[in-house]
Amino acid sequence: MVLSALEMRDHRRKNRFADYQDIITSPIAPGVSILAPAYNEGESIVQNAQSLLSLHYGKFEVILINDGSKDDTLQKLIAAFQLEKTNYAYFSEIETKEVKGVYKSVNSSFSKLTVIDKENGGKADALNAGINLSEMEILACIDVDCILSPESITRMVRPFMEETNRKVIAVGGVIGIANNCDIQDGTVTKYRIPTSLLGRFQVIEYLRAFLMGRMAWSRINGLMLISGAFGFFKRDVVMAVGGYFPKTVGEDMELVVRMRRYMEERKIPYKVGFIPDPLCWTEVPESEEVLSRQRNRWMRGTIETLQLHKEIKMNPKYGVLGTVSYPFWNIFEKAGPLFEITGFIYTIILLIIGDFSAVYFFALLLMMYLLTLMVSSFSILYEQLSYNNYKDKKDLNRLILTILIEPFLVHPKVILWGLKGHIDFITGKGGWGNMIRKGFKKAEDRKNIVTQSQES
Amino acid sequence: MKKLYFFFLSLFLQSLIITTAAGQSPQSLTDSTAFQDFLIKQKEIQGLSVRFLIEKSDFTDSIPGDSIFRFAETSPGLLSSVEITQFGNFPKLLDTLSALDPTWEFLIFSQPSTFIATQEYVANLIRNGDIQELSKEIAPDKDLVLLASNFQYVPFFKYKLPFSSDYKLFIVVAIIAFFLISASVMILFMVIFKAKKNKKEQLMKDYEPLIAEALTAILFEKEIDEIKGLSEAEVLAIFPAGLLSRPLFQSVLIEKIIGLNKKMKGDFKDKLKALYQKLGLDKVSMANLHGKRWDKVATGLVQINEMDLIEALPEVKKHANSPNFHVRTQAIGTLLNLSEKMDLTFLKDQNYPLSSWQQMNYLRIIKFLYPQKELQMLSLFDSENQSVRLFGYKLVRLIGRVDLLENLEKSAINAPDDEKIEIIKTYADLGAYMQADFLNRCLLSENPKLQQAAAQAIGVIGNNESVPIIENLLKSQPDFPMKMILLKSLQKLDSNQFEKFTGIQTDIDTQRIKRHLLDPLLNHV
Repeated sequence: MVLSALEMRDHRRKNRFADYQDIITSPIAPGVSILAPAYNEGESIVQNAQSLLSLHYGKFEVILINDGSKDDTLQKLIAAFQLEKTNYAYFSEIETKEVKGVYKSVNSSFSKLTVIDKENGGKADALNAGINLSEMEILACIDVDCILSPESITRMVRPFMEETNRKVIAVGGVIGIANNCDIQDGTVTKYRIPTSLLGRFQVIEYLRAFLMGRMAWSRINGLMLISGAFGFFKRDVVMAVGGYFPKTVGEDMELVVRMRRYMEERKIPYKVGFIPDPLCWTEVPESEEVLSRQRNRWMRGTIETLQLHKEIKMNPKYGVLGTVSYPFWNIFEKAGPLFEITGFIYTIILLIIGDFSAVYFFALLLMMYLLTLMVSSFSILYEQLSYNNYKDKKDLNRLILTILIEPFLVHPKVILWGLKGHIDFITGKGGWGNMIRKGFKKAEDRKNIVTQSQES
Repeated sequence: MKKLYFFFLSLFLQSLIITTAAGQSPQSLTDSTAFQDFLIKQKEIQGLSVRFLIEKSDFTDSIPGDSIFRFAETSPGLLSSVEITQFGNFPKLLDTLSALDPTWEFLIFSQPSTFIATQEYVANLIRNGDIQELSKEIAPDKDLVLLASNFQYVPFFKYKLPFSSDYKLFIVVAIIAFFLISASVMILFMVIFKAKKNKKEQLMKDYEPLIAEALTAILFEKEIDEIKGLSEAEVLAIFPAGLLSRPLFQSVLIEKIIGLNKKMKGDFKDKLKALYQKLGLDKVSMANLHGKRWDKVATGLVQINEMDLIEALPEVKKHANSPNFHVRTQAIGTLLNLSEKMDLTFLKDQNYPLSSWQQMNYLRIIKFLYPQKELQMLSLFDSENQSVRLFGYKLVRLIGRVDLLENLEKSAINAPDDEKIEIIKTYADLGAYMQADFLNRCLLSENPKLQQAAAQAIGVIGNNESVPIIENLLKSQPDFPMKMILLKSLQKLDSNQFEKFTGIQTDIDTQRIKRHLLDPLLNHV
């Protein structure tokens, strides 16, 4: 909490002296390639592409990757943007599934837009195809259905331009929750909290994760995860490590860890930055079924990434990454559900054998509950002080109520979904079990691994 | 009652006999009274019970508590109760039956037993440790109070509080207390902080119309000389009493004046500056330069820059090499903007590397100043600081100083490869055809980055000698990206030769690249 507060204070002080208008037109500002994979996004793809093309920045290109959609995603793009298939000499520097065509518009108003049509290979594979085609210095990897603020590029590019003694290899941003909010011209104009408990729970969870967790990690340069929905990366480093790894469901986290390993192994001073300003919004799942699948995937992604990079575990050679971030993720993110379910089973056993101490049980329960309340309430107050987006008092009251009931009504479900992720990993769901268990000896090992395109 | 006394008397007598016989029976069993007390205190002894006996003739239909005794005829004319195993309420039961004149007998494992046998049975149980004498109290040999008085009192702290002796529980409760206190303090802090912030915002809102009104009146009603000639009393009278000395009011006022200054031109700008100084706000800006917090210093620098406070330049200069990135950036920006004599020579001696962010800021100022004064851009080429040299090469390109190409050529001779790459970009952008030989040499470099930069530039400023070099490189099987660049440059340099070359080279990559380069839709890619 202290670290995140300090980081936020510094960020807000720095913001006072930043003239973001300069970046838009300056020839010194780096170019940005926006990569947005799309799979069966026919309903909203045109609107999303238009929104991306209208971002306020001078030097940028938008690369949409149609990842073998079964709907009319490609046809809609062709019609809306007057696209034609080109003779683009696509070179698979990072190997991907087959690229069927590269499309450009005959209308010069859409000259910034490129569309790649390829065989379905998953998000990571689609992003790799986009990376191969990209020509700019910075890669902005986003989810195509995300709403980006017009200022998003200028704000996210700043850390890449500011550092002098360290190379900024990646910058993460906050993902805001757009459910139930009013949106106009790519910005949320009126914030409201979601109507469902699951939605409200995710608002609190996102505040905790982004405003507190990632800000604190950023303070000690220990960030291991940049959200796949909104992350900026230095292209040369991404290419050097071989792009995204398509064999894991946690491709966003895995790439950041591998890029960091690469820099640590070469002893190049580097930084992974984080911008807490609200610049990107997405709709979060409010149905239990979809949310459980998402959490299951996140858990498997975490386990797979930690497994792939077990070489760095408690290894002082990897600095903060190996000695702080990795153990933290291993204990609290990966093993958290295991600890909690073990505690639950142990309590049941104590009850059965009659060795149960009600005093200790309730004391510990109270302790954990208070800790949760403390952290959650801090994150809300923190948001109120920093951005004050949820202005309606009723919204605030409902958030506070959610804080009070969430540990009993939602948290147990999250634990169970996490456990299901563990089970799915152990039973080898996804089919990459053996290879992932073996792990990478070096960051660049990824380049030597035969991936989907060669196997299929 | 008579029978009860008789029972205890008989117990007493029998116990006397036992004591004499056994000799080693416990003290509590020595007589019938002691045995009775013993049984009552023990309440229950395993295997031992007692039952009451009454004459059938004494039996009436309404015996009190018959549900407990449940008398039944066990031998002619004699009724027996059920076995009683709880001795604690024995006297009470006897009292209930006193009118019937009952007798009783002991039973060991439901078998009738004599008093002596019963006593022996109980004594065995005690000896074997099967039962503990609840009634046993060890009488001290000496008076404890007297013994205690021989020792000085020492308090035994360990178990003073049972709570603190359970250290695990103590830790848990301490953590709970810590969380509670921390949470309360934090929330309290936040609430106070937010209340203060809201109050501050409200005050700022209140100040704004006051300031706007006063500034409008002065700017439109007074000439610059009148503003300069305002007396102290007149200045203080501009705003409601006491407001001008408040730091928050000063801060809003400064912001408002700077905001107006950015939008205004000519006379109004001069009036605003005069008013700024008359109100003593220049002193506030100067004081900021001595602040301990970097953001305060940077704020002071921004204010000085915006209000053209030339008199503050010596102080500003002190911050030009500040270890803080933001302070350094603002100080250099201010110096470049305000100093008549200031040129880029001071950048030459910068110790810290220039970030892209700083370069972007300086470029904006330099672009504005370049037509007005001599900036000594050349001096940057000789800096010890590589980032400054690179910025210098970039400036030549971005400002279009073709006249400096000659100097650039001299610098390029001994420049390291990454500087050469920047110089090549400048050559290409400015169309420096005379540098084609230099590019041809760089094309043969072993550094792939330099080779790539030269290959890109040679398409624009290459010469006849460049074509065979490109062709030779293409024949040496470069990787795909390099092949693409080389073919693109060849196409730009000599389209006939490009057609000829790609006509001979029929490998897939060359043909794909050819189709790519000839595709009109991809010309801008």
